[in-house]
Amino acid sequence: MGNRKIKHFAIENRIEELTSLAEQIDNLAEEWELSPALAMNLNLVIEEAISNIIFYAFKDKVKHEIKISISLENKRLTIIITDNGIPFNPLEQQQPDISLPAGERPVGGLGIFLISQIMDEMNYERNKNENILTLTKSI
Amino acid sequence: MHLKKNKTGIFTVLNIKGRIDTIHSADLEKEVNMLFDSGEKYLIFNCGEMNYISSSGLRIFLIAQKKVMAMNGKLYLSNMQPSIQEIFRISGFSNLFKIFATQEEALQNQ
Repeated sequence: MGNRKIKHFAIENRIEELTSLAEQIDNLAEEWELSPALAMNLNLVIEEAISNIIFYAFKDKVKHEIKISISLENKRLTIIITDNGIPFNPLEQQQPDISLPAGERPVGGLGIFLISQIMDEMNYERNKNENILTLTKSI
Repeated sequence: MHLKKNKTGIFTVLNIKGRIDTIHSADLEKEVNMLFDSGEKYLIFNCGEMNYISSSGLRIFLIAQKKVMAMNGKLYLSNMQPSIQEIFRISGFSNLFKIFATQEEALQNQ
């Protein structure tokens, strides 16, 4: 199966956009015949990355576009997320200590960690004024 | 997301249905805080119909656990779907909660 499938999405930097994005991802998962578990993980990874961008990347009150492309080729799933917010390299974020008991466990900081656990590879690039996050997973 | 609660013995069972994502986690937090405010400290979250959770939802579960511990109460989870169990496993949350296969088993652990 050498054929490559690709879908592009674009949303505004508003958290409400996640609802329709999730529906579109569910539709894509159905169209590409991805398992429900994989569809959930795909949604999860994208939600974590996008919510981080929406909450932290923009210091102004202006509308911004966040672009998401999802492709599948030779059983390899690639997600590319591009935003024009402040430089942010998620790979440099401190990883949580998941061995801590509940009383000592800090609340939050799990989003990027979940992405790194679910995906095989995570790459970050700053190009001109854009953050480009590339996530891949063999399925 | 849809929440339904009922009282069984000392426990308040909260049935969580649907997606616990960035958008809906605030509603879950509000509901859980209302339970705490009304003095409930023995809780079961029945997750049988919860089909999605992101870090914002996990955050609410952890906050609830911390509050229950501070009150010497109990918070049990039950009926979790395998894909949700996997999220709990990779985030280390499986070790932070008592997770039962069924609500009945959770109710027996008073």
